[in-house]
Formats: sequence, structure tokens, C-alpha cells
Amino acid sequence: MKKATILTSLFAGTMISLASNALANVVVIVNPANSNAVDNDSVKRIFLGKEKKFPGGESATPINQKGDAASRNQFDEQVLERNSSQISAYWSKLVFTGKGTPPKEVTDDAAAIAAVAADPSAISYVSAGSVTDAVKVIPVN
Amino acid sequence: MRKLFLFSAVALAVSAGAQAEIRINGFANLIAGKASSDDTLYGYTDDISFDEQSLFALQLSGDVNDKLTATGQLVARGSDDYDVDFEWAYMTYAVTDNTSVTAGRLRLPLFRYSASLDVGYSYHWVAPPESVYGVVFNNIDGVRVDYSNYAGDLEYNFQLAYGTLDADFVLGGQQGNVEGNNAINLTAETTYGNWKLRGVIGRANVTFDIPTVKPTIQALSGIDPAFADLLDANDDTGTFVGVGLEYDNFNWFISGEYTEVAIDDSYYQDDINYYVTAGIRVGKFTPFVTAEWNDAEDDLKFLDQVGQYPEQVRATVGQIVGGLQQQLVAKSNAYSLGVRYDWDTNVALKADVTKYSDDINEANDASLVRFAVNYIF
Repeated sequence: MKKATILTSLFAGTMISLASNALANVVVIVNPANSNAVDNDSVKRIFLGKEKKFPGGESATPINQKGDAASRNQFDEQVLERNSSQISAYWSKLVFTGKGTPPKEVTDDAAAIAAVAADPSAISYVSAGSVTDAVKVIPVN
Repeated sequence: MRKLFLFSAVALAVSAGAQAEIRINGFANLIAGKASSDDTLYGYTDDISFDEQSLFALQLSGDVNDKLTATGQLVARGSDDYDVDFEWAYMTYAVTDNTSVTAGRLRLPLFRYSASLDVGYSYHWVAPPESVYGVVFNNIDGVRVDYSNYAGDLEYNFQLAYGTLDADFVLGGQQGNVEGNNAINLTAETTYGNWKLRGVIGRANVTFDIPTVKPTIQALSGIDPAFADLLDANDDTGTFVGVGLEYDNFNWFISGEYTEVAIDDSYYQDDINYYVTAGIRVGKFTPFVTAEWNDAEDDLKFLDQVGQYPEQVRATVGQIVGGLQQQLVAKSNAYSLGVRYDWDTNVALKADVTKYSDDINEANDASLVRFAVNYIF
């Protein structure tokens, strides 16, 4: 019986950690007032400075997380499909040619949620587990 | 005119600061290099040098308003004793989200990496391939219109630049100068998935002022001023054509550029340059190879005209016309092998070795080893 309990709890523990791994995926968030149908491509374009507006025509303000934030690497690799060094090299090309300014950066998920909740034009990302009612989640791949 | 541009851009940048924040960004390349024993290559000798290609730069930019941005870039180059120079100073007006107009002193978009030429962090090389990128002028005083847009997965942009070029260079130990008036340059670039294709076409009225060449032109002028004028590069049309192709799937990449520079009515030899480079991204490491070629070995021009001179001056004219062109004949290739290591998201370390062969004069053959630290902030 004891053995079974240990096994069960081990099993359950594994399940929980697996589940939390899955939950560690980043999700894109916008202000609840934002009714745009934003797909993966437009998120990519907005965060790479190639598009300044949402598909509906309203201006978009991307909010990035700092280089050492947990969600940042995941977002870069999952959504932008490049590693953070490549993203940084990409922006260095635009910044030093006067062609663009990288998105404003915040320190963590909580700050990203606060920024998006306060600005109808904002778009950011957080790990799925951090999402609150203050923001709307956009499903991307 | 140029001074005025510089002044107004700086003044605007400063006044913008009164109401808005000034963005300060910077970049630095610290490059150490050493050529093989008793050889020189790209300015390096067999004594280790930290100055030849090192540079430190600060960029200040401020939004004057929603549409207008002022940018100035201060660059200190090791080859110039780290004297600080305002290399760029311009204002950009965003006409729409797709179109912008930039005026002042700005980068001439001749090559794939022209825009970020000085930002070592933005590419894998220690320095871009010398044969293609080793032109004397990279900046233009004038205006540039940028247009970019996309249709589905196809992204495209056009850049049309107009203005004046002016650059000093050193040839055979003597200072020379090249000026390009009425310079027009059109660049088109398109990206489709992992592919990028680029084409450039440009022209300018080019005048070379090279002290070592002057006596030769003057000697010919004593025989036939009209022919001397034809041979000289004085307000003659210079043309630039370039194409580039790149495939980059983020795990590995291969790309190449081809350029052709010509000034038909002058002693200048048609100059053809190209390179191919490839690399693999393995975690933080990007090992790469580059092969590059320079070919300015052409048939001598104006020989028909030389043949029409009376016998007593034909030899002299022939010597002048042939001699001058032969000085510019060049043919070489270089192979390099290197690696980039992304130390952090704003620091890269690099090393490369280059083997250079000169097909005209084997005495110029050399090898070079370089180490670099690229930093951006």
C-alpha cells in the first residue's frame, strides 16, 4: 500500500511536471479591448518591426521582455523562430541604419501583463501559466 | 552644403532632446590581426596590430516629432588614430508606414551589408570580403527614399539615393581623392521565405585626383589634349552594377555577391568582384568559409586611337596609355575560414584566417589571422 502510494505520487509528480512543461509555452497577449484577429505571421511582423499596425488597421505597440527574462528566449525561438542572438543581430542592423527601434522591454511576465492591460495598442507575450484576466490571450502555434 | 546638413541634424537632435528622449546606441569592433612573415594584407603587417580595422562608435537619435527623426553617428577608427568623425548625420521623415525620406550624410546602399558595414555584430565575418566591400566611398551626401512592403510571403524594398560622393584614399603611399557628382543609385531587395535576392544599379560623374597619375596625363596633354582628357577620369560616367543572392534557413546559410565597376572613358580598368560565403549555426558557434575573387585584368583600352598617331609619337603615346592602365590591372583571390561565437546577446567573439593570392604579382601573396570582439549596446 505504501509502495503504491509512493509510486502513485511519483507518477502524479511526473505528470504535474510534464503538465507544467507544456504550460511553460509562451502565449501572445493583447488588451481585452483589442478585437483584431492576430495570427502568427502578424505577431512575427510586429515584433520584427516590419509591420506597425494590427490587421484591422489600429497601430500596434509590441512589448518585449528583457534578454534574461524566462519567456523571452522561448518567444524568440517558438514564435520568431530564431535564437535571441540572431534577433539581437537583426535589430542591430536596423538600429544602426536608422530603420527601426526595437520594441520597449519589460522585466518579466507580470510587467508585460501590466503594460498590455494599460494600453489598448499593446501586444506582448507571457508563459501560459502567468496569464490573468487583465489581458486577452491570442492562440498562436 | 555638407556642413549645413551636419549642423542641422545635430541641432535638431539636441533640440529634440529638450522635449523627447535621445536614444544612445553604440557599437565597437576590436580587431587584432597579423600577416604572415614579411607580408602585408589589408593594411596588416607581420607585427600584430589592434588598430587597422578596430572602431568605436556612438549613435544618437531623437524623435523630433511623430514623423521626423534625427540621427548622428560618431565613429572613431583605429586606422585614423581614433579621431572622432561624424560619419552619418541625417534626418528621416516617415511619409507613410512604407515610405521614408532621409536627407543628410548617409550610407550608400551598394552592398548587402552596406547599411551595417561597421557593426561587426550584425554579420558572421571578422570583416566583410575586401574584394567586394573594399570600395573607397560608402557614404553619400544627399537624399534617399526607402520603400518597403510585402505581399503574402514576399517582402520587398526599394532604395533610391541621389547625391554627391567624396572620398580620400591612399594609393602607392600617396593621398588621392575621388569625387562623384550626380550620383544616382537604385537598390531592389526581395525576401521570400529563406531566400533573399538583391540588385543594385548606380552611376555618377566621377573625377579621380591622384597625384601620381597627374604627370602622366600632363605629358599626354602636351601631345594631344583631347586624348589626355579621354584617358583621364575627369567628370566621366562611372557605373556600378551588383547582384546578391542568399539562402538562410537559420541552421545554415550560403550567400554571394557580384559587383562590377566601370568608367568607360578613362584609364580605369573594369573591376569585377565576387564572393561566396557559407556557414552553419551550431549552438553559439557559427563556423564559416568565404571565397572571394577580384578581376580587373582587361584588354587595354584606346589602342585603336594610339595606332592612329604618326610613328614618331606613337611609341610615347602608347607607353603612356598602356602604362597607366597597366598600373590598375589587378587579379586576385582569397579564401578564409573562421568562426563566430555568440558570447551574449550583445557580444560576439570571432576569429578567421585568410589566404590571399595575387595572380599578377606573386610577391603580394599573404596570409592573415584575425581575432575580433564585437559589441553593441
